[in-house]
Amino acid sequence: MKIDQLIKELDCEVLHRCKETGVKDLKHFVVSDLMSDVLLVDGEVDLLITSLSTAQAMRTADIVSAKGVIVVNGKAVTADMKAAAKEFDMTLLKTKLSTFEACGAIHRLKGS
Amino acid sequence: MIIDKNIPIKMEESTSLILDLIYRLKIKDVMSRNLVVALPEDPLDHIKALMKQRNVTGIPIVKKDRLLGILSIDDIFKALDNGYIQELAEKHMSKKLVMLEEDMPLAFAISYFDKFKYGRFPVVDKNNLLVGMITSRDINVGLLMAINKEVARMEELLAQNTPVDAQNIRKTFRIRKYDFEHAGNASNRIKKLLVDRKLDPRDIRRVAVAMYEMEINIAVHSEGGSLTVAIDNDQAEIIAKDAAPGIEHPELALQEGYSTANEWIKSLGFGAGMGLANIRRVSDEFEFQSALGKGTVVRSVVRFKRKKENEDDH
Amino acid sequence: MIIRDLLTCKELVLVQKDFDDAVISGGYTSDLLSDVMAHAAADNVLITIQAHINTVAVAKLVGIRVLLIANDREILEDMVQAAQKEKIAIFRSKLNQFDLSVLVGRLLAEG
Repeated sequence: MKIDQLIKELDCEVLHRCKETGVKDLKHFVVSDLMSDVLLVDGEVDLLITSLSTAQAMRTADIVSAKGVIVVNGKAVTADMKAAAKEFDMTLLKTKLSTFEACGAIHRLKGS
Repeated sequence: MIIDKNIPIKMEESTSLILDLIYRLKIKDVMSRNLVVALPEDPLDHIKALMKQRNVTGIPIVKKDRLLGILSIDDIFKALDNGYIQELAEKHMSKKLVMLEEDMPLAFAISYFDKFKYGRFPVVDKNNLLVGMITSRDINVGLLMAINKEVARMEELLAQNTPVDAQNIRKTFRIRKYDFEHAGNASNRIKKLLVDRKLDPRDIRRVAVAMYEMEINIAVHSEGGSLTVAIDNDQAEIIAKDAAPGIEHPELALQEGYSTANEWIKSLGFGAGMGLANIRRVSDEFEFQSALGKGTVVRSVVRFKRKKENEDDH
Repeated sequence: MIIRDLLTCKELVLVQKDFDDAVISGGYTSDLLSDVMAHAAADNVLITIQAHINTVAVAKLVGIRVLLIANDREILEDMVQAAQKEKIAIFRSKLNQFDLSVLVGRLLAEG
């Protein structure tokens, strides 16, 4: 699916938009609240789904070359995190949905 | 006569270098140990003479190293003005004592000077025995010396970092304890350099992950340390070093899931205990040495297996 | 659905079988136990990689009856014993948290 569909379906607030993300198809989603876990992922990561709303989450996402991060559970995104998103030019989204609900919603989009 | 002024260091506005120093330096590192003391049965006249002789503005009154009170130059002025200079120290000494402990970080002393208006504080050890005195001058001198050392060290590191040339990258980064605002920054920067060089994404991932894990380990578990990267056409070598505290059970540290991180660290998303095992997993060469009291060294080599662009056969 | 219904899933391996069955109405996916304590509901399936005894303590606090450990994480013996004491079921799966969330979501939808 494309990022715009996801933004609409999950009713996301867009905190930073990377130009590239709009073009690519999002296929690989990683769910984690532990940065160390994200670092164990081997394959490509398109979007990191996490409730950690810190600059560290963006840094970790950058290390694994993710295209973007979506912060769930309506967590407030810190100013550092927004700054990091701009620094690495990675899409940063926010949604009120819980991790569980977000996964379900994304899955439904994949099918369509 | 000049009363000691407040120390103009506000925690919220300080750089992380200063914060690092004022928490790392302990009161015992800067205090005066050359104590001029007096006994409770000494007359104030004697106290006055001591102050003049030894050029101090405050005298602790002790009995067998136990601090009983303190007399300041203001107390002497009062005694002179009111005609009781011949009376004994114990009658007029301040007994409401604000003391500092020698193992407290310098930051505490700075806060105390800010909060209380005394010019000096007595310093006691764990057994409440008097071991020194600290004035704001002591803090100034101590900080200046420590800053001097730090800046010299930073300048040396700067000189070591050779400019990026076409083939080789060699850089050393200093990682501060608990500096989560910046921890990971070095790894992000190196990763960007690697992406620009168009290496295979899998190799870039391995280098980035190894380096990042090492960087976070230094910030989370050590008193601060360095991260050195050496990259050429064939490989990336990353070495992490810290001098303290060292790992008590190195063999356990390599086990997946074993972690000594506290709850605060875990709430930040770290401390899952996968770091060292993960570095080993992505590395082609992996070395790790640590001992309690000695510090830790971790070395990783990632060899570049495939190039992104086609190479001519040779 | 009830916890027993999860037994039919070949992606889920039952690790702690001494449990009291219960109705499941939702799922909560998290690796931060503080979040679980604050937001999870008693009738949730908890999907996490935190395969240690603290997870059982938090589950007990919230009233959660079933834990799903993702990414094939090794489950420590003391965790299994603690869960057994509380009659909380533990399943383990090779799937990651994303796929497990989707799987459970689907099962819930199917009733």
